[in-house]
Order: sequence, then structure tokens, then C-alpha cells
Amino acid sequence: MAPLTPYTYIQCPCSDASTLGRQADGDSPEDDDLDDRTFDPRAPRSNYSLYPLDYLNYCEDCQQIRCPRCVAEEIVTYFCPNCLFEVPSSNLKSEGNRCTRSCFQCPVCIGPLSVTSIESQPDPNLLAAPDGTPAPHSGPYILTCSYCNWSSTEIGIKFDKSNSIHAQLAKLNNGGTARLTAKDHKERRKEGSHGLAGPPAAPAPTAAGNGDDNEELDVETQFANLKSFYQSQLADSTAGSSGLAGLTDLGFSSPTSLSRIMSIYTGGTVHDRRAKARPGTMREALSSDEGLQIASLDESSAIRELHEAGYDGTISTEQSTNQPPHLGEVYLHGSSRFASSLRPIPYLLRTKRSKRCPVCRHIISKPEAKVATTRFRIKLVASAYIPTITIRPLNIPSSPIPGTLPPLQPSQFILTFQNPRFETIQVTLATPAKTPGRFASKVTVLCPQFEIDANTDVWDEALKDSSDKTKIRRRGAAGEDGTHQAEAGKIWERGRNWVSIVVEVVPASLRMDLLEATANPLKEDEDVLEIPMFVRVEWEVEAGGDEVGTAPGRDRETKERCELAYWCVLGFGRVSQA
Amino acid sequence: MSTSTTALPHRAVANIKSPGGGVSGPSTPLRGIASNFGSPSSLRAEEELLLIEFGTRKLHIGFAGDAVPRGTVWFGPDQQRRVGDFRVWQMDYRDEWAKRASGDQWGKDHELWQPDVRGLDLGLVGDKIERAMREAITKYMLIDSRPRRMVCVLPSGLPIPILSTTLETLFSRFLSPTVSLLSIPVAVAVGAGVRSALVVDLGWSETVVTSVYEYREVRTDRSVRAGRMLTEQTHKLLAGHLTQAQKKPGAGPDDIEHVLSFEECSEVTSRVVWCKPSHHSSATNPEDGLATVEEQDETDSRNHPSGGAHATTTIPLRSGATPASLELSHDQLAEPCENTFFEPQCSPRSFDDHELPLHLLVYRSLLELPLDVRAVCMSRIIFTGGCAKVLGLRGRIFDDVSHLIRERGWDPVQGKASGKLGTASRLKKRGSRQASGGPTSVQPDGAGGEEQDGVWHDAANTVPEVDPVEEQLRRSRDRKEHLQVHGKMRAVESLGAWSGASLVTQLKAAAIATVDRDVWQQQGTAGASRAGDVDTKSQRQSVGPAIRGATSGSSWTLGVWGAV
Repeated sequence: MAPLTPYTYIQCPCSDASTLGRQADGDSPEDDDLDDRTFDPRAPRSNYSLYPLDYLNYCEDCQQIRCPRCVAEEIVTYFCPNCLFEVPSSNLKSEGNRCTRSCFQCPVCIGPLSVTSIESQPDPNLLAAPDGTPAPHSGPYILTCSYCNWSSTEIGIKFDKSNSIHAQLAKLNNGGTARLTAKDHKERRKEGSHGLAGPPAAPAPTAAGNGDDNEELDVETQFANLKSFYQSQLADSTAGSSGLAGLTDLGFSSPTSLSRIMSIYTGGTVHDRRAKARPGTMREALSSDEGLQIASLDESSAIRELHEAGYDGTISTEQSTNQPPHLGEVYLHGSSRFASSLRPIPYLLRTKRSKRCPVCRHIISKPEAKVATTRFRIKLVASAYIPTITIRPLNIPSSPIPGTLPPLQPSQFILTFQNPRFETIQVTLATPAKTPGRFASKVTVLCPQFEIDANTDVWDEALKDSSDKTKIRRRGAAGEDGTHQAEAGKIWERGRNWVSIVVEVVPASLRMDLLEATANPLKEDEDVLEIPMFVRVEWEVEAGGDEVGTAPGRDRETKERCELAYWCVLGFGRVSQA
Repeated sequence: MSTSTTALPHRAVANIKSPGGGVSGPSTPLRGIASNFGSPSSLRAEEELLLIEFGTRKLHIGFAGDAVPRGTVWFGPDQQRRVGDFRVWQMDYRDEWAKRASGDQWGKDHELWQPDVRGLDLGLVGDKIERAMREAITKYMLIDSRPRRMVCVLPSGLPIPILSTTLETLFSRFLSPTVSLLSIPVAVAVGAGVRSALVVDLGWSETVVTSVYEYREVRTDRSVRAGRMLTEQTHKLLAGHLTQAQKKPGAGPDDIEHVLSFEECSEVTSRVVWCKPSHHSSATNPEDGLATVEEQDETDSRNHPSGGAHATTTIPLRSGATPASLELSHDQLAEPCENTFFEPQCSPRSFDDHELPLHLLVYRSLLELPLDVRAVCMSRIIFTGGCAKVLGLRGRIFDDVSHLIRERGWDPVQGKASGKLGTASRLKKRGSRQASGGPTSVQPDGAGGEEQDGVWHDAANTVPEVDPVEEQLRRSRDRKEHLQVHGKMRAVESLGAWSGASLVTQLKAAAIATVDRDVWQQQGTAGASRAGDVDTKSQRQSVGPAIRGATSGSSWTLGVWGAV
């Protein structure tokens, strides 16, 4: 097991103990006291509110951390991650969330597919043809994956043109047969029953020319048929009575519509009357033209195919979840089971999003609109506002397994707080004396309260480097690095804009036999020593925000005290299980 | 009161414009109608409805009006990690599954909720929903986080605490102004184009058989024989064929229950587990409309003994102690399905109410329906849910139920005594039916109609009663209606709950229940009144232009999910 590098997670204050619904009852009655409750990093819910510092934003106006859960997002650009084509937002509704050009992923290994011609490479002799130009690729094209060598010939699909593969693919079923879209069906039906005005005009079930009552429909067609059927039914059933659905083809001349208009103003009683009259006026779909599909439950051919194909002939869960919903499929039930039913996956579009603070509506992050640039116009990241915490081992007793902490022996760590602000900040730390969870380790922060000097220009320090070397003050008594002792209440080390303190932990023993009844085996990560720590940061800012020079004396009065408090989780390392 | 005032402004506008009350001009009422549809936002044309179907293991999300959902998010342990935790990509991650989920927890982290809410951390459920929704919205929906109206498609047996958590998450995290609720069985029926159906939802934690009659759920039966059990049975099968060395080290022979990871078992289940055809299907070939299915099953069962027994499938397994590949015959691979859903080796009496084999469950469910409801429902059986994908399972259930019906008819009494009576003369049978009918029958009163005229009506050959008045009414209403099939077994294909709900919403029909954000935040579940107290006439008319605004006063309902 790889040794664990120390880490820090921060809990966004947006997810405080305002519990959604009810707590899991029964386990700990003292939890009722919300104020006293320490944050338990191991509770399953904590995973949803903890973020590494780099994932957090910061709202300057609210002086608050903003995590991905508590920002309002707006979309700047939609684009295809493969061809970087910027998709206008209007296309999204009509054409879906995938790239509609020729960008596809391999259904087997999700590598990018490329369009190649299956014509064999032109004969070298042909190159010397009189026109002097190599014969352009022509003829059928296929999609191939250069990683796993999958190609669309495996599912029997070839394309006539090398561009707009998406549109061509939509018209092809696996095996290469052309697929009738919903529109085609409609047209066919229209031809069959001469001159029916339009879909809402309700083609009667028998009026359809193709009399096959249980024609197999694909999903899209069935949906379209059902939709037009329901619409026609709604129109039919309400045409006689004073229904509202008749609105779409409303004729104001009819007396019924007048009475309906009257009834609108007479309030709710009419609804009841109509509701009584309605049941049964809508009938159900009767044929495939109306979207009814009698199920053929005989799957013996598929079973046979399964037996022949074996395990490798079927597709894995991962592959099937990656498959886009295929509208040309006949039924959703047997969908995507065999490798032969795989379809190339059009790339999902991606978005660039700007983020706003949900409270004050200020933008906290805004990327450049162009797809190719990775720059941000505005980006308020939390690491520029709240101190970063780094963990370094100081004094760890030797452990049987290297890289782990020996249980029941005090280990010391140095926590370094770095202040990114240009103001001096006061930091107050609090930890529970014993970590929550099954294995309670003891924690002592030797110096829970300290002040960190303001951040300055980096060059200041570099230039003043020689003279200010003494600024790195060490509070350890003895001069020798290895031997000096950490003292309670004293800072370990201090620099320009950083302060180090010492934390002493006594990891609990992970031996099961020391626990009483709970014989559950060690859960994942339960051997990691994690310490919840409440960090409170205070600083002074100038009130009003006008930076025009004011007298230093008056400055005192106009200064405003700000504070920010949050829980964070420090992971120190694994406790050895020996 | 609050809803009435919120609904009013539009109407008020209409009233101002036409003080004469509609007589003045025909063009004004249109505005009033728009408000009557209950969607004041119809003025904002760009607003789309988000349609979310929650299942135990996944959620489907998309825009209302689409044929299929835009995206599907599966709940899984990887989703429950902290942000920035990339251990999933580590080399040995998959091998350490036992630490994460063994014992009781095996597979639990792939579920959004458990139907047993006693030990359930509802806050966690809310968090899971939120994260999955966020993933779906960013990855598949590509929409910003403006508040949107939402429609939730939920199992109708969802406990109120979970429902409450779901709504709370949608309201507080996604700031949805209104959330409408639709139940899965009704949506499935709509997706099939029928008004009544017997929806057999072969789900993950339980199989639910719901009879929908005229878009109302009239009866629900459930059994724990479902996806989870199937996966466990698959595990049992695979574990039984592993040698001791291939199992996880350190595990005693009986100490640890799970030697393979859930992910792998689930995968094997979905890939190669299948279901044998019914024994009964080839025995007799009755003329009651099953011809096509039966015939082809026969061919299959002829094929089967020849090739099935010897042919094997090699299954590679990696989550055991050492990688192994198991050679299992096709018959063996059908075992989990057999044991999970049918358990033919046990007598029907040995099952508890919550674990009836599926064919019995469906039969029982049909049997206890009122006669005419049964006649309609039995010819509109819809299979849905994840386990409907198990090859052959649907056909098997269907055949077994048909067989049961042929064998027993619709007689709730069975056993030796009734069998003896069956052999006796038909007249006698009628008499005894009448005598024993009262106390022992568990049928609801609608079934009493069977005995009233002293003739035993077999639903399978019931001739619809000819009532001249009724007939005339029907003819005047709709000439096609007499074409309705009933009284014979028939299965119907549905587009599924999501697409059905998409149809419902697109047709501007009111959902069973619609919850307003403001009202919810004031009242919570406690504010919901019983479905019956609210104007059900307009509310429950799922399809049809029922008027949501017509709900009187401030009362709102959670529909079939009931009230606290």
C-alpha cells in the first residue's frame, strides 16, 4: 500500500448541520446538541461536503467560501471536446447533447474513432497517372479505433460520405439496413391514407394504409405515434364537451366554445361537471400506428445468440452505460446486450461555465468564451483568501511498517499556515481532544492561537532576503534541529507570511480485540488518521473599500473586523496495524 | 389560501380585460386559459421541464417531451467519494473491494436508498441525489443552474420519509419552483398507450406488480424476488464453483459470505444470466391467443436439450484471491434466475407473503382484482424494470401465469378438497362455490359479481355483457372502443416510465401531485392532505386536460404517496 501523503480537506460552510430531513436515528443521542457536535470526517455524509482547497472559490463580497455546491452556474460556451467546435445553444435543444458532426468514441474502449476509407490504398502505379494527383479516397467509409482496432464493419455499418457521419449513422441500423425515422413513418402513413390534414387531425387506426396492426416500431417512432395519438384523442374527446384541449384548433364560432368561455369565469364547479363527463372518452391505442406494441416475449433467438456469443460476445456494464440512447432500437428491453449491437458513441458536448455567488450574484469565476483558451477573465479561488495548510512530519517514532504511524505512541507534525492575504490574520484552531469514530486518537495542538503576518510582494522577500534572514524565527529552545523540543503555546517557526505550529497525535490502536462488541472488520480508510479541525480566521479590512489614503489615525476607526470559520480535515497518515 | 392567490393574477388580468365576463370579446379568454393550465410560466417559452426518474440504482434525467432521457446516472461507491479523491484510478483499487463493501454492505453502496427506512441516513440519500443530479446536469443536460420546474417519476411505494428527502433536495438545492410527482406504473401504462395495465416492475430491491385501471392504481403486490436477490444468487453460483484457493485469503469457509465483488457479480448477471423457458409452454397449445409465443418456445425447448447441456460459457473473474475463469454450462447460468424468481423446488405454500415467486405473485394479483378490471388488465401486461432485461424472464413469467390460469381458472380456493370438487360434476362445483364463497374468499367486493348469477365466469372466456344503453353510449362516444382486447393474456411493450412521463407532461396533463416550493418550505410533508381531500377529480385525471389551478384553497397532496 502506498504511503499516504498528508492532505487537507475543507468543509464548505454551506453544508452545515441543517440536516436534510432527519438524522439517522438511534445511534447517538448527544448529537442533538448541534453546537457541540464536532464534525466527523468519517461520516458518510462528510464526503459530500469536503473539498480540497483547489476546488473552492471565494466570494469577495460575502467574504465566504463557495464550493461547487453553492454556486450558481451559467453557461458560457457549448463545445465538442473532440473537434472543439462551438455549438450554438439553440442547437442543443433540437439536436441533443452530443456532437452532431463526425466525432465519435469507440464503443469498446472509448478511444476516438477516425473516418477511414475501406478502399485499399491507391496503387502506386496509379500515382503516376496522367493527371499526376493521387486518386482521392472514395467509396465506402468506416469508423475505426486506432487503439483497439474496432471498426464499424463489425456492426455492419459503412458510410457513403466521409463527412456528417452523425446524420448518416442516424439513418442506419446495425447491419447496415436503412432505418425508417418517425418522419418517414408519418409520410408513409400519409401516402397510405390520402390527404389527412396533419398529425393532430387524428388518422383513424384503420385509415392507415399499411394495415399491419403490430408492426415493430423503434423507440422514436413509437413515441411519436403515441404522442400524436394522445393529442388526437385529447382533441377528439374534448371537442364535443367543453374541453380545454380543444383550444389548439379552436373555432370561436361554435356554440360549445362560447359556453366554454362562459364557464371559465364561473369557477371550479364546471370542472367537476366536466370531469364527471370525461372518463372513458379517451380510448387506448389500438394499433402500432397509435403506438401500441404487443410484446413478443419469445426471446429464444436472443438466448441462442447469447449461448453462441459467450461471455465475450456480450458487452460490459461500463460499455453499456456509455452507449447513448439509440432511438432506432426496437425495444428498450433487450438494448445493447451483444457486442454486435454496439454503436459508435458521439462525443458528449461540454460546457464552459461561469460561476456566480448565489447570494450577492457577483461573478466569482468566468472563463474566456473561446473554446481553445484556458484563461479565465475572473477567477476568485479560495486559496488566494484563506490560509493554506501543509503538513510535515516532525518527530515520528519508528514503526514496523515504513511510512505508517505507530499506534499508541505520540507523533509530532508541523502544520504550516500560509497567509495569502495582504492583511495580517489571526488564526484560532480547535480540535476535539479525541477524534470521532471507532478509533479515537488523541490530538493536541500545541499552539492553537497565533497571528500570521500579511502577505507581501514576493520580490520584497527575495530582495530583502539577506538582511531578513533572522525573520525566520524559531522558538525551539535548543539550537540543534533534531533535538529541540516543541513547546506548548509557542509557535514553532515563523516566516514572512507563514507560521508553523506543532501538533501532537497519539494514534489509536487498530486492534480489533480492544474494541468491545463491534466486530466489523476494518473499513476502507479507517486506518487513516484524520483529524477534524475548526479553523477561525480573523482579519481587518478597511471599511467602505475606498483606498484613497486616509490618515493612519483615522484608519483605526474605519477598519472592519472580518472573520471566517470553517471545518477542515487533516489527514496525517496511516496508522500501522501491527 | 396562498395557492389561490398565486394562481389568481393571471385570471385577474383576464377579468380586467373583459369586465363583461367573457361576452365582450372572444380573444381575451385565452389568457385566462393559459393560467388554467396551471403553468404560469408558459409565457416564458424557453423554460423546459426537467423530468427525473428515480430508481434504486440509477436516475434518468431529460427534458420533458423527448422520447428518451438524455442521461442516466448510476449510483455507485465512486460517486460517494470526496471530490479530488482519485483512488479509483489506482492500480489495486479494484482488488480491495472487500474493505469497502462486504457482509451486509455488499452492494449497498450501489443503491440510492433501501426501502427499509429504519436504518437509513436520509441526509445521505439527499446528498446522493444531489450529487447525481449535479453530475447529470453538467454532463448530460448541459444546463445552467437557474431554477427549473421539475417532474419526478417515482415508485408508488416510496416511503414518505424518502419522498420528503427527495423533494427537500430538489427544492433546497436546486431551487425548483414546483415539483410534480408521477408514479411509475401509471407512467409506464401511458408509455404503452393503454389506460389500464398490469405493470410488472422487475426492479432492484423488489418486484412490484401494480394493476392500473383507467390510470388509477388499484392494487399493488410486491415480492423481494428482484435484482438484488438475483445478483446474490449469481454470487452464490460463482462462489460455489470457485476453488478454495481462488477465494479471498483469510476468509474462513463459512465466515465470509462474499468472495467476489459486487461489481463483478452484477456484471456477470447482466451479461450471461438467462432464464429457461417454461416447462408448461410446450405441453399444451391452447387456442386462447398465445399461439405465437407458444410455438416459438417449443422450437426453443426442442433446441435446448441438444445444445444447452454441454455448451459452456467461460467467465473470467478477477475479484477473487487469484484471477480465475470459470467454465459454466448454460444450464448452470440459468440457475440463479430460477432460484430467484421461481424456486420451483419449493411448494407454493412455503412462501411468505413478501417472497412469492413471480408467477404466483402475478397470478395472485390478477386473481384478487375485480372481474372486469382483471379482464382488462390481463390482456395488458407490461414488464418493465431492470430485470426485464434478463433474457427469457418475461416470457417465462407470462407462460407460467398462463399455465396457472389454465390449471386453476380464477378460483381462489385450491387444494385437495377443491380439487376433488373439481372432478365432481360441474353443477356441484357451482353449488360449493356459492357456499364457500363468502368467508374464505379474499376477493374484494367487485369479484362478488362472479357468483351473483350462479354461473362461474371464467374471465378467459367472458363475453362482454351486452347492455343496450351502455352499448349505445359507447357507440356514440367512440366507435372504436369495442375493439378493446380483454379477457385473454397479452403482453404489451411500453416505452418505459420515463418516456411515459414525458408524454404525460408534454400533453400538459396534470401530474398526480404537484408541490409548490413555498408551500413545501412552510409546511413540509405535514401539510399534504390526503389525496381524497383534494379535488381528486381534476387532480387524478392523469391524462386529459385536468386543471391544476382548480385545486381548492391551499390544499395539496402527495397523491398516491399519501399523507402523514
